Parts: sequence; C-alpha cells; structure tokens
Amino acid sequence: MSRLHFKAWLLAGVGVVLLATGYLFVAMPVRVHAQEAQSAMPSEPTGDNSFCLVCHADTDATAMLADGTQLHVAVDPAELENSVHGSGNEQGALGCVDCHGTDIFPHDSPLPESARAYTIRASLACTNCHVDQTENLADGVHYSAIVNGNLNSASCVDCHGSHNIQPPDEPREKISETCGECHTTTFTEYRDSVHGQALFEGDPNVPTCIDCHGVHGIQHPTTALFRNRSPELCATCHADTELMEEYGISTYVFESYLTDFHGTTVQLFNQEDPNVPTNKAVCYDCHGVHNIAEANSENSRVIRENLLDTCRTCHPDASADFPDSWVGHFPPSLDNHPLMFLVNLFYQILIPVVVGGFLFLIATDIIRRIRKMFSGRSAE
Amino acid sequence: MAENVQSHPATPVAEAQESYKRFGPGQRFEHIVLLVTFSGLALTGLPQSFAEHEWAKVMIDVMGGIESIRIIHRILATILMAEAIYHGGLLTYKLFVLGRRATMIPGLRDIRDVLQWIAFNLGLRREHPHLPRYNFGEKVEYLAVVWGTVIMVITGFMMWNPIATTNFLPGSAVPAARVAHSAEALLAVLSIVTWHMWNVHIRRFNRSMFTGRLPHDAMEEEHAEELDQILAGQIDEDPSPQTIAKRNMYFFPYAFIVGTLLVLGLLFFVTFEQTAITTVDPAVVVQTDQTLEVSADEGNAETGAAVWASLNCSECHGDNAQGGEGRLNVALANTALSFEDFVAAVRRGPADMKAYSVLDVSDLDLAHLYAWLQSQ
Repeated sequence: MSRLHFKAWLLAGVGVVLLATGYLFVAMPVRVHAQEAQSAMPSEPTGDNSFCLVCHADTDATAMLADGTQLHVAVDPAELENSVHGSGNEQGALGCVDCHGTDIFPHDSPLPESARAYTIRASLACTNCHVDQTENLADGVHYSAIVNGNLNSASCVDCHGSHNIQPPDEPREKISETCGECHTTTFTEYRDSVHGQALFEGDPNVPTCIDCHGVHGIQHPTTALFRNRSPELCATCHADTELMEEYGISTYVFESYLTDFHGTTVQLFNQEDPNVPTNKAVCYDCHGVHNIAEANSENSRVIRENLLDTCRTCHPDASADFPDSWVGHFPPSLDNHPLMFLVNLFYQILIPVVVGGFLFLIATDIIRRIRKMFSGRSAE
Repeated sequence: MAENVQSHPATPVAEAQESYKRFGPGQRFEHIVLLVTFSGLALTGLPQSFAEHEWAKVMIDVMGGIESIRIIHRILATILMAEAIYHGGLLTYKLFVLGRRATMIPGLRDIRDVLQWIAFNLGLRREHPHLPRYNFGEKVEYLAVVWGTVIMVITGFMMWNPIATTNFLPGSAVPAARVAHSAEALLAVLSIVTWHMWNVHIRRFNRSMFTGRLPHDAMEEEHAEELDQILAGQIDEDPSPQTIAKRNMYFFPYAFIVGTLLVLGLLFFVTFEQTAITTVDPAVVVQTDQTLEVSADEGNAETGAAVWASLNCSECHGDNAQGGEGRLNVALANTALSFEDFVAAVRRGPADMKAYSVLDVSDLDLAHLYAWLQSQ
C-alpha cells in the first residue's frame, strides 16, 4: 500500500467518524428519549414533541408518494393537545413517537404506497394501548374487509380521527353520525326512523347504530346468525318493562312473538344452530330495519292498511284476509281474535272434564280391585 | 267370577271356548297403522306445541330439528288421512253390503252400562253390567278417534294451507285452528295415556288387537252380552253371495268415485299451497358502495357556486377552486374525478379533509357543486 493511498483512507476514515459523531450529536437526544418512551409505554407516554415539530409543524409539509399523490404530514400541536390524548389525559399526554414509532428523522422506512395505506398502517398504533378494542376489532367486519384487501373499509382513525380525537359519544348522536359518514343511505333511513328521530331529539335510550351492531366487533348483519339472534336483540329493550314503561310500549311483544309460529321456529333455530338460515319472519322483516316507524304511524309497515303488502313480501299469494291470521302482539280476548279466545276456552273446559271423567271411572275400578283384594284375603 | 257365569240368562247351545275371535287381520292392521301414526304425530306435534319447554327442545333436537319434525308430522298425517279414507270405505262396505249392525254407535244403554259399572265398582251392585260387543269404554275411544281425526284434519288443513283457508274463511280462523289443533292433540294424548292405557294395558293386558282373540274370562268381564250371544248361537250371518254380488254392483262404482275424490282431495291438501317463499333475502343493509340516486346531469353550476360558498370550501381549496395556500391545497377546478368518486371523497373526507355527511350536504347539492367545479 502506498503512502498516498494510506493518506486517502485516513482522510476518508476521519470524515466518516466526524459525520457519524455529528449525526449522533443531533440524533442522540431523540433516540434516547424515544427508547425510553417505547420501553415505558403505555404507562409513561411522552409529551415532548419539539423535535418532530421542527419539520411537522410546517403546514405545507408534504411527502410525494409512489402513486403520485401528496401525503400531508403536518400536525397542529394545539389539535393534539386538545384531544383526548392531550395533557388532559389522566395517563399523561401522548407524544408523536408513542403512535408513530421511533423511525425518527431522517426516516429510514420506505414511504407508504398511498395515503390510504398510510392511514391504515398508522391505525395499528392504536392497538398498542387499546387492547380490548383491538381484540373485538379482529372479529369485526371492517377489520376483516381491510385484511381482505378493501382499503376503503373503516380503520380506527376513520371513525375516531387521528390527532384531534374527541370522546366518540358526546353528544350521543355523534355515534350514529360517525357511521353515517360512510353508510349514508342507511343513515338517512335511520335518521327518519322512530329511533333516529328520538335520538336527534336527545332521547338517551333509543338505540344508536352501535347498540344493535356493536362497536369494534361489528358482525355482518346479513348472516343467518344475525337474523336468528335479532329478535333477542330487539328484546333487550322491548322486553324491558322498566324501559318501555316510559314510552307506553307493551313488553308482551317478544313473548307473543315467541308463541307465534314465526317466533317459535326462529327461536328453535337460534337455540339449535343459529347459523342455519330460516325463512320465518323476524322482527325487522315486518317492522323494517333502519326505517322502523312507530307501529301505528301512517308509514308503518305493520298498520292494517299496509300489513297485506308486508305479508306479501314473504307470502306473495296472500289474500286480503290473510293478515288477520296473525294474532298480533296482544293476548287474544273477546275483543282481539275472539274465535281463538273461545276455542281456547272451550278446550280449557273440555280437557279437564273428559280426562277427569276417565280418571273418575279408573278410580272406581281401582277401588273395586282393592276391595276385592281385601275381601279375598279375609275369605282365605 | 263363577257366580257371574251361572247368572247368564241365555241357554248355551255352543261349547264355551278358551278364547273367542275378536278382530280380523284387517282390523289389526288398521290398528297398527293408527298406533304408529298417532304416536308419531304426538311425538312430533307436542314438542311443537310446547316448544318453549326444555324437554320439547331436546325432543326436537333428537328428531333432527324443527323443519324435519314438521315434515315427519306431515307425512304421518298424510298416512293417517289415507287410513281414514280406507276405513270409511270399509265401514260403508260392512254396513251396506254385508249388512252388519253398527255396534259402535252409542245409545242410552251405554249410559246405563256406565252407571251400573260405577255402581258395581263401588260395591252398590253385585253384578257387573252385561256389556255388548263394543262396550261403552271402547265406543268412547272409537268416537274420540273419529271426532279427533275430523278436527285434526280440518284444523291441520287450515294451518297447512293458510292462504287457501283465508280465501273462504276469516283470517282469525287460522290461529283459532292452531289452538284447536294443539288442544285436541293434548286431549287425545291424555285420553290415550289414561283411559286406553288403563283399560287394555294395566287392568288387563288385552292382546286381542294383536292376536285377534280374547280369552274367555275377559269376554266374560268386558263383553258378557256378546259372549251370551255367541254361546246361544246368535251369530250374524253374511247375506247370500247373490245379494252381496248385487249390492257390490252399486257399492264399487260408488266407492270408486267417492274414494277417488277423497284421494284427490288428499293430494290437494298435501301439495296445493306454497305458503311462503322458501328463503328470505337478507335485508339490504350494507351500503358503503351504494349507487347514487342523483346523477351529475342534475347539477346546476349556478347553485353549485352557492354551495361552494356556503360550505366554505375556498378556505382550503382556494378561490375558484384553483388550490389554496394551506395544507389542503388541492385544486378542484375542472376535476378529473368522476361524479361518483367525487361524492365518495367528500363523504369520506380524504387525508385531513373533514368528512361531509348527508347532514352537511345532500347528494343533489354535490351534483350542483360538481357542475360548478367543471365550469371553472
């Protein structure tokens, strides 16, 4: 090796060492801080974001993604501070690295392929702390759609927001509005329904979307399972006497449904194997799904004027008198289905009389046999 | 017992036998059909009637689920109805061709027999009543089967074909039929487990329905009057072969016509109505990818400008949608997005943009907005 070569190598070596030292000088405090944060998560989140904000507070900050779109990478620190993850958080404020990881400047990780892919990947950060929700999420339709490649499906931040997360249920109608951002048609139907109208009038009891569908573990509502279970779902409120008293709604609806042909069958499917589909009607087949109207209102599917059409959705040949074969949700009496009431009464009398008569005759036969047994013995 | 035999009024001309013929093979076969169908119908029917009870659920489960037991129930009902048609034909033949006496018809004497039997049982009478070929207990059972079958067939038809039923009866007849069907079934089963069980299985195991013959002492106790007649040689004789042949000329065409009509009626009963659709489409509830009811053509650029202003879009997207100065500097003028994608984007709120629901802006307003953007 010549001296010249040696000098060149030495210079290069010194250069590299200087550069590395300079880099460490700049990066070290953040790295140390980040490692501390990671090891201590989630109990000791960090609130010092000053290093990140050197760049990310710039409102024009963007990154060009592979698909040609620009990803805005700016953060308003005030927004984060005022969110549930700000310093008002009982467990302390969250810092950038708590969610975004420690791939600090100059960001070695490759850029996401699209802004949407980035959003979904970033949502994974929520799972670090929100363990229960994550477990439920794994059973839910939105998560499974994403896993199966539908990136339009909702991730955590689509419903909750990212830096500006606020309590999701204050006010309560915010819950349904959140779902309505994607499920617009369903939301419109719901908003005009008896439940939706009451919700937006401030009723604290009526169901929002999540009361029927669940929150993170939302089940697919078109399965046999959901259908077979649905009467019990409605019954959680509609068989609750205390709750229904406020609205003057009968709680006999569920019991009367179960004693009817439809309800008996569905309940048996539900208890034997709820995954087997049945064609017997459940609550929402007659009352409607999201557009449930008050039972006696003009646009209700179950008032007398509309009932035949409703029956015909499953019984296409139904005759004009067919709807009367449904007893309704009130017990039969002399006023409501008197024929059924009287037939029942007839048998309530006939059965004890006939069977009682038989038992009486049998009893006399037994008496004779006992008497004969004793007299026979005494004769011996 | 011996004193009872001595008290017979008729003078015996025939030898007393160990047992007497009671039922022919045809009757015994009919009984087996009835036994099987009745038990099967009860086993598959009662759990449906009492479906809310745990034992019923277990039974339904064991028999393959509610839909299977409904099919089994209907098959057995069809067999029972066919048996009823056969029985009716046979009965007509016996009464009108062979000229047999209708020994099953109850009369005042049966009331007398019951009262005497009770008195005898309670020790108020020394002798048991001299009961005829079919005693009061058997008549009650037979009539109960006839009555029960008629009720069950009529109410069963109404439940099997509710739409056809409501064409000629008020709708409320269908649930009334359901109540009657269940209650009548309960009555029938309770009668069988009390009266029938006691009389032919417990107080004496009466095998005559299977062997065809009844022993002398049972005849003595339960059919003393018939026994007297047999011993006195009073046996019904069939008419002469010529008479039978002559009567058959009337009977068989009649039986053929009525039988055919009844069998057709049965087929109608069983196959006529498709009450409900077989599968219910799942309720359409997932509409993330819904089709817009509004088209881009409906948009009006002038109205769109007002929508643009009212939603304050320019704050981010700049005046005239040429792009803003802030983070959201996406130019929208003459956007390349299709109307559908445009609406989807507004509804979802891409990147940091707020999502606009239908509460904020209607689809039609978005059409106006889109028209305005295209005009810029």
